[in-house]
Amino acid sequence: MSTLTEEIAPVAPAKHRAEVATALPPARGQSFLKLVTIELRKSVNTRSGRVLIGAILLIALAAMTWQFTHLPEGAAGVDGFLGAGSTGAMLILPVIGVMAMTSEWTQRTALTTFTLSPRRVRVQLAKFVSAVVLSAVVMTGVVLLALLGTALAGAVTDHSATYAGLGGLLASSYLMMALNVVMGAAFGAVIAQTAVAILVFFIAPTAWSLAGPALFKDNANYLDVFSAFGRIAERDLNGMLPETLTAIGVWVVLPTIVGLWLSSRREVK
Amino acid sequence: MITVENLTKRYGSTTAVQDVSFTVQPGSITGFLGPNGAGKSTTLRMLTGLTPPSSGTATITGKKYAELPNPGRVVGVMLDAAAQHAGRTGRETLALNASLLGVPKRRADEMLEAVGLTHAAKRRVGQYSLGMRQRLGIANALLGDPAVLILDEPANGMDPEGIRWMRGLLQDFASRGGTVILSSHLLGEVQATVDRLVVIGGGRIVANGSLEELLAGSGTLVRGLDPIGLNQALTAAGLSLEPLHDGGLRVDATAEQVGRAAAAAGQVLLELRQSDGAGLEDLFFQLTAEPAAAA
Repeated sequence: MSTLTEEIAPVAPAKHRAEVATALPPARGQSFLKLVTIELRKSVNTRSGRVLIGAILLIALAAMTWQFTHLPEGAAGVDGFLGAGSTGAMLILPVIGVMAMTSEWTQRTALTTFTLSPRRVRVQLAKFVSAVVLSAVVMTGVVLLALLGTALAGAVTDHSATYAGLGGLLASSYLMMALNVVMGAAFGAVIAQTAVAILVFFIAPTAWSLAGPALFKDNANYLDVFSAFGRIAERDLNGMLPETLTAIGVWVVLPTIVGLWLSSRREVK
Repeated sequence: MITVENLTKRYGSTTAVQDVSFTVQPGSITGFLGPNGAGKSTTLRMLTGLTPPSSGTATITGKKYAELPNPGRVVGVMLDAAAQHAGRTGRETLALNASLLGVPKRRADEMLEAVGLTHAAKRRVGQYSLGMRQRLGIANALLGDPAVLILDEPANGMDPEGIRWMRGLLQDFASRGGTVILSSHLLGEVQATVDRLVVIGGGRIVANGSLEELLAGSGTLVRGLDPIGLNQALTAAGLSLEPLHDGGLRVDATAEQVGRAAAAAGQVLLELRQSDGAGLEDLFFQLTAEPAAAA
């Protein structure tokens, strides 16, 4: 990265301030909606933010292109395209959640953010909401690509397009996405280091789902967050309400609360 | 107006800031001076609600920082010029905060112009030099047209031209009723800018007063053709003095007293003046070294 060294033009001292002082609108508090808007803007106004979103859409596009060229026998279903497209998105979207909470601490912009908005819990909640909204927008991009792919397959190949079960597919996609993103954000709130938070987010639940059953037999279901997400996404709890609630409580709600508490007390340097 | 009362910050068994109290009045520029690690930044972070104090309070215009509904409209803060996202342009950095503060977007452009960064508005902050980031940080602090400015080491990384520019900006700000506190570990940077000094050393306030008050204690500097003779003459006149390395003397008396004593003894003077810059520097080291040595 190069550093600009050229001379800066000399400027007359501060005469601007007196001129505009009276022209500014009166100071008001910061509404929650304003905070969410600001957080959304922060996640797309840097190159790294845009690259992340672009990458998710590109991966979805690539997967769907593969799907397009490898259509199974029978009708070309939207379920196939959406499944292909959202696999990658489901893996990467939680990273948006993690980064929403960590990047300010890693980039040290937390100093400016919490100086301008000292009520930190509100800011952190706005980050949660912003991460879910942004993920929903990206997910909608993936859904649109899937619809497009299906229509295209129906039009240019000898397969017929089918949109069977679209409503249920969409509901489970968005639910799954939201749960994963909130969980990612919760992990990011607890561990304010992007790389470490992402690592723990991907490893800890998987490690548990592998180690748990060996240690606790069927009781491990109580802490298996992936199965819990699956049941919620299918909107069918299979009579496992306590297991589902416990798993969500431990892996999502608890880290969220701990994360909010920690970040409200964490020293900003 | 800034009021700091009995602020203390402990980390485990170490005390970073101990029982610090001072006020900064509207219309004045206060220099917050101390060597590195003296507790300047910790105090400023407690003042802006970023670090919870172990005890004590700090208020700005009578309110705790966290209780200000939209702090940027009351107090402009720059604690670290490097704490800006390298991936955003200078203009976007300001436009984002303008939106949060509820000031028009054009205010961002006006501030860029005011700090002389219009030409670099569309460049990413990662490409800015430290001096340019300081200017951007100052633009950011001024964005909400605040009444109070809190700046941590604002002159750090600025060239002499930049320091002179900032001095003009701050003095203009204070002359229109603004309250300014700026920290520094370099005396030369603040001496020509500030009206008052709060000196911190080893986590404690070691001096607090107007520049004149603090300088007055440093006496008169005198140099004569015959240093030994002058020394004897002044001592005989009952003045207490301290020889300097370069043959001069620092005398705890007014220039007139020194001049009269020298004239009475027929001593030829080569130099006679109020001990200023060097005096402040000595004062600074003296004040800040004592608690460290005592600790």
